[in-house]
Amino acid sequence: MSAEEKASVAQDSVAAPVVVRVRRPALAESRWVRRLLIAAALVFLALFLLLPLVAVFVQAFQKGFAAYWEALVEPDAVAAIRLTLLVAAIAVPLNLVFGVAASWCIAKFDFRGKHLLTTLIDLPFSVSPVISGLVFVLLFGLHGVLGPFLKSQGIQIVFALPGLVLATVFVTFPFVARELIPLMHEQGCDEEEAALVLGASGWQTFWHVTLPNIKWGLLYGVLLSNARAMGEFGAVSVVSGHIRGETNTMPLHVEILYNEYNFVAAFAVASLLALLALVTLAAKTALEWRFGAELAALKRH
Amino acid sequence: MTIRATGITKRFGSYTALDSVDLTVEPGELLALLGPSGSGKTTLLRILAGLEFPDTGHLELDGIDALEASPRERKVGFVFQHYALFRHMTVFDNVAFGLKIRPRAERLPADAIRRRVEDLLELVQLAPFAKRYPTQLSGGQRQRVALARALAIEPKVLLLDEPFGALDAKVRKELRRWLRSLHQEMHITSVFVTHDQEEALELADRVVVMSQGRIEQIGTPDAVYDRPASRFVFDFLGQVNRLPCAVSGGVARLAGGALTVPAVGDPAQGDAVAFVRPHDLGLVPDGAGLAQVTAVTTVGPMARVELALAGETLEAEMPRGQWAGLGLAPGARCGLAIEQVRVFPR
Amino acid sequence: MTGAVGWQIRRPSVLPGFGLTLGITLTWLSLIVLVPLAALAVKATGLGWSGFWSVASDARVLAAFRVSFGLSLAAAAVNAVFGLLVAWVLVRYRFPAKRLVDALIDLPFALPTAVAGIALTALYAPNGWVGQPLLDWLGVRVAFSPIGIAVALIFVGLPFVVRTVEPVLQEMPPEEEEAAACLGASRFQTIRYVVLPSIFPALMTGFALAFARGVGEYGSVIFIAGNMPGLTEIVPLLIVIKLEQYDYAGAAAVGTLMLLASFVLLLILNLLQSWMRARHVR
Repeated sequence: MSAEEKASVAQDSVAAPVVVRVRRPALAESRWVRRLLIAAALVFLALFLLLPLVAVFVQAFQKGFAAYWEALVEPDAVAAIRLTLLVAAIAVPLNLVFGVAASWCIAKFDFRGKHLLTTLIDLPFSVSPVISGLVFVLLFGLHGVLGPFLKSQGIQIVFALPGLVLATVFVTFPFVARELIPLMHEQGCDEEEAALVLGASGWQTFWHVTLPNIKWGLLYGVLLSNARAMGEFGAVSVVSGHIRGETNTMPLHVEILYNEYNFVAAFAVASLLALLALVTLAAKTALEWRFGAELAALKRH
Repeated sequence: MTIRATGITKRFGSYTALDSVDLTVEPGELLALLGPSGSGKTTLLRILAGLEFPDTGHLELDGIDALEASPRERKVGFVFQHYALFRHMTVFDNVAFGLKIRPRAERLPADAIRRRVEDLLELVQLAPFAKRYPTQLSGGQRQRVALARALAIEPKVLLLDEPFGALDAKVRKELRRWLRSLHQEMHITSVFVTHDQEEALELADRVVVMSQGRIEQIGTPDAVYDRPASRFVFDFLGQVNRLPCAVSGGVARLAGGALTVPAVGDPAQGDAVAFVRPHDLGLVPDGAGLAQVTAVTTVGPMARVELALAGETLEAEMPRGQWAGLGLAPGARCGLAIEQVRVFPR
Repeated sequence: MTGAVGWQIRRPSVLPGFGLTLGITLTWLSLIVLVPLAALAVKATGLGWSGFWSVASDARVLAAFRVSFGLSLAAAAVNAVFGLLVAWVLVRYRFPAKRLVDALIDLPFALPTAVAGIALTALYAPNGWVGQPLLDWLGVRVAFSPIGIAVALIFVGLPFVVRTVEPVLQEMPPEEEEAAACLGASRFQTIRYVVLPSIFPALMTGFALAFARGVGEYGSVIFIAGNMPGLTEIVPLLIVIKLEQYDYAGAAAVGTLMLLASFVLLLILNLLQSWMRARHVR
C-alpha cells in the first residue's frame, strides 16, 4: 500500500459518517413474521385457487393432445360451444342496454324509492342459481303458472333456447348496472349539464359526453357479465332439460361427460371454460392497471 | 429531556430529505421547526419520534443512544397533523389507550387510569365529551384530544406535527395561546413543526429555520427575525424588498449610488442585494426625493405604499395614521429613510 | 303534482331521459326478476300452510338446510381468517409476482362453477394430488364428505372477503398505527386494538357475502359432495331433485324457505353492520 493510499484510507475513516444499521420502520412486523404470513397466504392460495386451475389443464391433456382435440371437435361438444356462444350473444347485449338505462336513472337522478330499486337490481346476486332456474320452470314449465297456456299456443320456453336465455339474463342481471352506478355517480352530472347548456340533445349528450366517460367501466361490466353468462351452471341446468346436442351448454356438457366417467373429455371442455376465465381475468386486470383511476370507484363499493 | 441529534441524513430514493443536520433541544424549551414544505422538518420530527430512521447520524435522548429504541421505548408524545385519533374508540378510550396497553406489571389499576384520563380531559377542557367518538368533535376539540392522549403516557418530550395546520384561523389563534400557557405550566420539552412563520415566532422559545434538508438558522424569534443569517431566512420570515446595490467599506450604495446605507450581513464587496423589510422603510415628504409613490392600499390599520425607485418597485408599510400625517398621494415624490439594510451576495 | 310542495317523486333535473330509462329499468326488472320470483311465491302458497309445513319439517329437508347453512358458515369463517390474511399480505408486503397473485384472487368469480367443481374433486379425491396425502397421512377424507363441501365453498367465497377487506386496509391512514406505536403499543397490540377494529365492519361484510354465496352455491359443490341424503346433500340439490320428480310445489316450497332464510340472515348481518358502522364512520 503506497503512502498516498494509506493517507486516503485514514482520511476516509475520519470523514466516514456513522452508518446506522438498517432498521425496521415502526410499522413493520419482523422479517420472520412477514415471511411466515406471506408463506401461509401463498400456500392457502395455491391449495384453493392455483392447484384447481392447474388440475383442469393437466387432466385435460392426460391422454395426449389427440384425445383432447377429439373431445372438442366431437359433434355434441361443438353443439354445446355453439349454444353457449349463442346464449351469451343474446343475454349480454340485453343486459348491457338494461344496465346503462338503469344506471342512468339511478346515478343521474334523485327520486323516491331509488334505494329500493338499487336493492332489487342486486337481488339476483343473492338468489341461488338453482332458484334462478326454478322460477322460470315454475312460470313457464308444463305444470307452471303459464304452462298450459303456452302449451296450447305451441310455445316452448323451458327446456329450450328461450329458457336458457331467460335464466342467463336473470343471473347476469346486475353485472353491468352494478359497475356503472358507482362510476356514473362519482362522475356526477356536471359534464352532461354543460353539454345540454351548449345545445346538445339528450342523445348527443349521452353519446359524446357520458359514454366516453364510462366506456371502460362498461367494458368491465360486460366482461364479467359475459364470463358469468358462458359459465353459468346451476340456473341453466334447471331449465335446460339436458338434451344432448340441443339444449346442452358447455358447463352442462362438462357435467354429462364427467358423470359418464369420460374425464378427459370433461376436462377438455372444462379447459376451454377455464381459458375463458383466464382471458377474462387478464382483460379485467389489464383494465384495472391501465384505467385504475377511472375504475377506482368500482373497487370502493 | 435533552435531545441531541448529530449528522442526521435521510434519503428517500434519490431525494435527500435531511442533509447532515445537527440540532440540540434544551430541557423544557418549546422549539419550532420552521420551513416550507419539503424542507425536511417533518422528517426530522419523525426521526426524533422513532417513526423514521436516519441513514446516518446519531440521536441521543438524555445522553442515551435513541436510535436503538423503538418509538414505544422512547417515551415520546407525538401529536399528528390530522390527529390520527382512533375512530372506533371514544374520547375517553383514546386518551386511556397508552395507559391500558402497558404490560401488566407497569400498568396502573383501572380506577387510577380512569382518574388520570379524567384529569387530562379536564386539563384540555373536554371533560363533558368523554363518551363521544372523534367524528362527533370539531377540529379544535380533536386536536386537544390528540394532545391529551399524547400527554397521558407522561412523555419526556412532546412532538407536534403542524399542530394547527388543519384548523381555521380563529380556532388556530385560540389554541396557540392555550398551548403556550399549557407549556408554561408543564414545562415539558416540546418540538413542533410548522410552515407558518407567525406561529413559530409567536409560540416558540427558539426557532429552527429549515430549507431543503438543511438548517439555515437557529435562534430566538427576535434573533432570526432581526438578524437573518441567510437570504432564505430573510425571505421566509416576512415581506421583503430586494434592491441591487454595490458594497464597499461597510456601506451599501443603492439606486445607482444616490442612496448610501450602512450595510450589515455578508461583508462581501462589490455587487450585492440589499434586503429591506417594508416596515423598515421610512418615507420623508420631499418634492425632489428619489422615490415616487405609485399606489396605496390600506389593509385594516396598516397602509401599504408602493414606490418606484430607480426602476425598481418597493413596498413600504406603516400605520394608517402615520401615512395620513405624511400628506403624500400617488404621484408624489418622497425621500427614503433607511436605518440599515442586510446585504447578501447577489 | 300541483301545489304538493315538499313532496315530489324526483328532484328536478335538466338531464333528459328519466322517464325512458326508469321505464326500461322497471319493465325489465319486473319481467326478468320480480314476476318470476312472484311465481315462486305463488306456487309455494299453492301448497297451503299445512302442505308447506310438511315440506319444511321433512327430515331430509331439515338435514339439507343444516348442511347448507352449517357448512357455508364454516367456510365463511375460514375465509374470514384466510381472506384477511391474504388481503393483509397483498396490501402490506412486497413479494415476487404479487400483482399476479392479486389477479388470481378473482378466479372464483370468473371460473365457471362446474369447472371449479370437477377440478376441486379431482384434486381432493382420495386419489387426487392433495386428497391422497391427506387421506394417507392424516386419515382425512375430503371429497365426498362434508369437508369437501366446505372446500368448494371456501373456493367460491374467498374473493368476497379479500375484495371487501383489501380497499379498507389500503385506505387506512398509517398515522393511527404510528400513534399507537408512540403510545407504547407493541405491534401485536396495535394490530389487535387499532387495525382489526377498523377493518372489522368490512370483514363482516365480506363474511356475510361469502356466507350468502355459499348457501346458494350449486355447481362447484355437487361434484365434490357425494350427495348422500342427510349427510352431504345441499338445499339447492334437493330443489333440483324435487324438480326432476315433477314435485314443483315441493321445490317451490324449499326454494321459498331458502330465500327467506338467507334474506333473514343477511338482514341480521346488515343490521349488525350498520350498527357497528354508525359508531365510527370515517
